[in-house]
Amino acid sequence: MFKKGWGSLLLIFLPFAAGIIAFILIIVYSGSISPFLLTADFGFLAFVFGVTIRNLGVIVLGLGMLLTLFLGLFYYRTLRQQEQTQMLLSEAEREAELGRRRFLRRLDHEIKNPLTGLRAALVNMQEAQAGEDQARAVGNAEHAVERLTRLLTDLRKLSDLGERPIELAPVDVPDLLQDVVEAAHVLPAYGGREVNLLIPKVPSPFPMIIGDRDLLVLAVYNLVENALKFTYPTDSVEIRVGEDGRAILIEVADSGVGIPPEDVSKIFEELYRGSNARSTEGSGLGLALVNRIIGLHDGQINVRSSQEEPRGTVFTIRLPGGKKGLTRLTPV
Amino acid sequence: MSPDRSTLLLADDDPTIADSLAPFLERAGFHVLVVSDGVSAFEKAQAHHPELIILDVLMPRMDGRETLRRLRKANIWTPTILLTQVGEASERALALEEGADDYLNKPFDPHELLARIRAVLRRVRPGQRSLSAAWLLTAADLSLDRRARRATLAGATIELTPKALSVLEYLMTHPDEAVTRERLLEAVWGWEYPAGTRTVDTRMAELRRALDDDPAEPRFIETIPGEGYRFIAPVHGEG
Repeated sequence: MFKKGWGSLLLIFLPFAAGIIAFILIIVYSGSISPFLLTADFGFLAFVFGVTIRNLGVIVLGLGMLLTLFLGLFYYRTLRQQEQTQMLLSEAEREAELGRRRFLRRLDHEIKNPLTGLRAALVNMQEAQAGEDQARAVGNAEHAVERLTRLLTDLRKLSDLGERPIELAPVDVPDLLQDVVEAAHVLPAYGGREVNLLIPKVPSPFPMIIGDRDLLVLAVYNLVENALKFTYPTDSVEIRVGEDGRAILIEVADSGVGIPPEDVSKIFEELYRGSNARSTEGSGLGLALVNRIIGLHDGQINVRSSQEEPRGTVFTIRLPGGKKGLTRLTPV
Repeated sequence: MSPDRSTLLLADDDPTIADSLAPFLERAGFHVLVVSDGVSAFEKAQAHHPELIILDVLMPRMDGRETLRRLRKANIWTPTILLTQVGEASERALALEEGADDYLNKPFDPHELLARIRAVLRRVRPGQRSLSAAWLLTAADLSLDRRARRATLAGATIELTPKALSVLEYLMTHPDEAVTRERLLEAVWGWEYPAGTRTVDTRMAELRRALDDDPAEPRFIETIPGEGYRFIAPVHGEG
């Protein structure tokens, strides 16, 4: 079959080369050296030897050994993949269970306080004489009910956001921000403060984005409300908008107390309260809602904060949009 | 029971709610019958012919939705308020099938319930099928197909966002009623929103543009300064 010199050279070289190839294949596909490597080498050796001596039995033996290699390799890979999937799944389950427990623990805490206030107010209502004391008890009861209602409303918003589709229509961002500033004026935390709204004059008109205007108002409003809650009357709050051709950037910045570094990674979690936010009223779901809304718009939200001079916090929302978005999509 | 007092049937399985709401509604001048499940509500509605029924949704034996469906099937068109939220489109279609006259989200302010009761009682014509159960609503040359979620003006389809269409639907099913912006927010958006009044006004502007309705001389939607809106054209329901 082969010329004598070439034949003997091949006899030595081919099994060697095959061994190396099989070795690489096994490393790539299975991630470890397995006993199949040996089978491969022997199989190929037997096959080439069989071809050289023109013996069908040896050829079949070699092919058989090679086939064993491939079947073994396939089986080994499937097994490993199954193991990995199982591991990822149980990891995700464990994580979800931990998250659920954490959520319930936080929910318990959020309900406990207004409920205690309500019980105390009811006792006062029963025991106090009609007049100022009773009026105060009624006021406290109403306040507790308001807190519980707000918590429930925000929980409903969060669950609704996962279920209902968002409306997609062109949104005029500067106009939206103007609405947010006007709505923020009535907040008790607003005081006599200035909320600066910075809207670039060029390009004009400012590029539109496609999204759910009402939800985006809610998201920016929550950020502004937070900024007002965590600043002193002498601090500044600023809303800025910009674009870079690919995305619209909305920033809500303040010169307030800042977020402790250990809290920064957790503030978007449901019902998480930072160490300096525990005494401040709120449902504890505001930022989780913002995060969910921005996610539904395929956007991103980031936060930078410092508690040392120059102190303050800047939330940056990045929403896909601009020119491309406008020509691509039409109102629903 | 004095003859001039309207009778309300209140069905809620939570005794705290029923026990607190009943005296409140009595003080407001109604005669209140209280039941705690759907089956009793169905029986009482047939036996006592109340002027209005308030049904909680989650109740033992038969839930509020099923109770309402059975009432309507039995051709009992007593105006009904369901204590639930109508949010998604599928929910909305379901609500339409049920034929409730209004919806109220829990937790609600009892005064809001009272306002709803009074508004529904003012609107309904006794014994007649209400607009809330009609598939097709028409007012002059405007028609709204609630199943297809399509509105036409003089035969041509008008382009509306889903929210604006729902606003139109709410107004057309509550004609000649002063609807506050807060009420629209709750009924159409499902939640309270910051900048809520602006939110409603933006949609109303869109709706008026589409309907070619001049706010100064409205054919369909009238602005009530400081209050909200009113659908002024007579509405007919079919189906």
